[in-house]
Amino acid sequence: MKVSFFETVRYVPPRPLPSEWPVPSGAYDHDAGAAAYRGMIERLEYVEALGFDWVSVSEHHYSPRILTPSPIVSAAFIAAHLKRITIALLGPIVPHSNPVRVAEELAMLDTMAQGRLVVGLLRGTSNEALTYDLNPAEARERTDEGMELILRAWTEPQPFGWQGRHFQYRTISIWPRPLQQPHPPTFALGTSRESLEFAARHHLGCGVSYGPFEVMGRATQHYREACARHGWRPSPEQILYRANMLVAETDEEAHALLRAQSNQAPFTMRPGVRDAMMTLDSRNIAGQARSPVVSGALPTTFIGSPDTVVEQVRRCREVVGAGVLDLSLHPPGSGDLGPLTRALELFGAKVLPRIREI
Amino acid sequence: MSAAFDEGHVEADGRRIRYLEAGRGAALVHLQGAGGLRLTPAQDLLARRFRVVVLEVPEIDRSAELASTLATAVRRMGAVSFNLMGSSFSSAAALSLALQEPQRVSALVLEAPTVLRPEARDVELERRLADLAMPTLVLFGTADGAVSPTMGRVYKERIPSCHLVFVYAAAHAISTDRPEAFAEVVADFLERREAFVISRGQTVIHP
Repeated sequence: MKVSFFETVRYVPPRPLPSEWPVPSGAYDHDAGAAAYRGMIERLEYVEALGFDWVSVSEHHYSPRILTPSPIVSAAFIAAHLKRITIALLGPIVPHSNPVRVAEELAMLDTMAQGRLVVGLLRGTSNEALTYDLNPAEARERTDEGMELILRAWTEPQPFGWQGRHFQYRTISIWPRPLQQPHPPTFALGTSRESLEFAARHHLGCGVSYGPFEVMGRATQHYREACARHGWRPSPEQILYRANMLVAETDEEAHALLRAQSNQAPFTMRPGVRDAMMTLDSRNIAGQARSPVVSGALPTTFIGSPDTVVEQVRRCREVVGAGVLDLSLHPPGSGDLGPLTRALELFGAKVLPRIREI
Repeated sequence: MSAAFDEGHVEADGRRIRYLEAGRGAALVHLQGAGGLRLTPAQDLLARRFRVVVLEVPEIDRSAELASTLATAVRRMGAVSFNLMGSSFSSAAALSLALQEPQRVSALVLEAPTVLRPEARDVELERRLADLAMPTLVLFGTADGAVSPTMGRVYKERIPSCHLVFVYAAAHAISTDRPEAFAEVVADFLERREAFVISRGQTVIHP
């Protein structure tokens, strides 16, 4: 089992913040921001020393919950400071990006980081459509087309034009090309039938997140079946599961910590926007309709003592088939750094060495 | 058939060749792929900007040998110089015609050409592609299951003034699958030649 640490940048607000998304930019404290990015590097040096395989970053906007609106900038900064760990850039949000620019920047980063890049391409959470004025109804189609264009830009040796539905270019010929050939290990992230089948069609990994093992297992099973239809079989390392983990010395302590956490996601959209978004943003798990996640805290699927968590990881491997875990060891939006540090110490000492062989 | 297209016949080298014709302006001669003479929405769109002549290619499996017959047929129809488009199997005839009569073919378009295949490369033909001096546009659909779109790079490498364009979400019959996208890029290329790479898209939202 490979293990990835999901880095969200821990912004510690000096004053209470409004709870609505978008959070007013004027509420941002630049000293707290600078401290958060300094702290990120210090934490990741520790994460690397503990033996994590990857550090992951993602793309989110307009709030301090995950302070990496440009994950490519974050990844480049991390790659420059850390020398061994693989950088998993589990963004960018494809439908509101320029796919050619994404292909160029990721090729640069892979080369500058000496081939330590892993890429996840995705559609993004519902609220992100508001960030750059994207019509949510077009997001799925733009994601598929953008991902296909990124792959083509990485691999096509001759200049070419692209006559798409949502993107059009007459001249594409990127320099540099990725160091890893034909391109960095790439995942299509998401549980939707469309995302899983795209991954299968293009021989990419798939990434699922947060849901219970059985539900995520349905998605990864759909992916494996689709891969078989395309004549190949994914390795466990091509199935990634992002999850919250709450590990403590005892099961009782872990559950007490969970009860103390808020069950509401911070920084939610106004109800009128959220409700309208739900009618426009169709989501599914391997073809079964589900509501977009627009409020509520994300579940914690690994919880308990080190022994308990190790067993849960074993079960996750069996049910989900995941060979890579991308973990938050403390709620991503929390600036309470003490519990995160304690969780890292405990995980590094009593969990990480035992899940390597799973 | 679209009402805009008229059907006719032309005699050349003892053959009677059927054609469909519509539109005014510069001539665009289209050699269709296998499947006989049939119109696509893309031809309708192109006929708004060009005199489109769709020629029925006889004996399509040996169509390369008929290039001079097709050239004669086009001359009889009054088109001395013309744009030439070959689709799929007719790419062989289109390439032969362009190589035989380069002074008459002002621009060449190849839609999902099958004349070169990864499993049966024609070294001699590939060498001769370097002799094509006219602006050339090669299109492949990203979902082409008949011939790999990666073959596009071979044309791009060999033909001196070749532009390669991938049409997203189109299979082998690009002009059927994505007629608007196909007609737009073909018309733009034929009207502006190599300058078609310069965008004329406008991004002003409100003046």
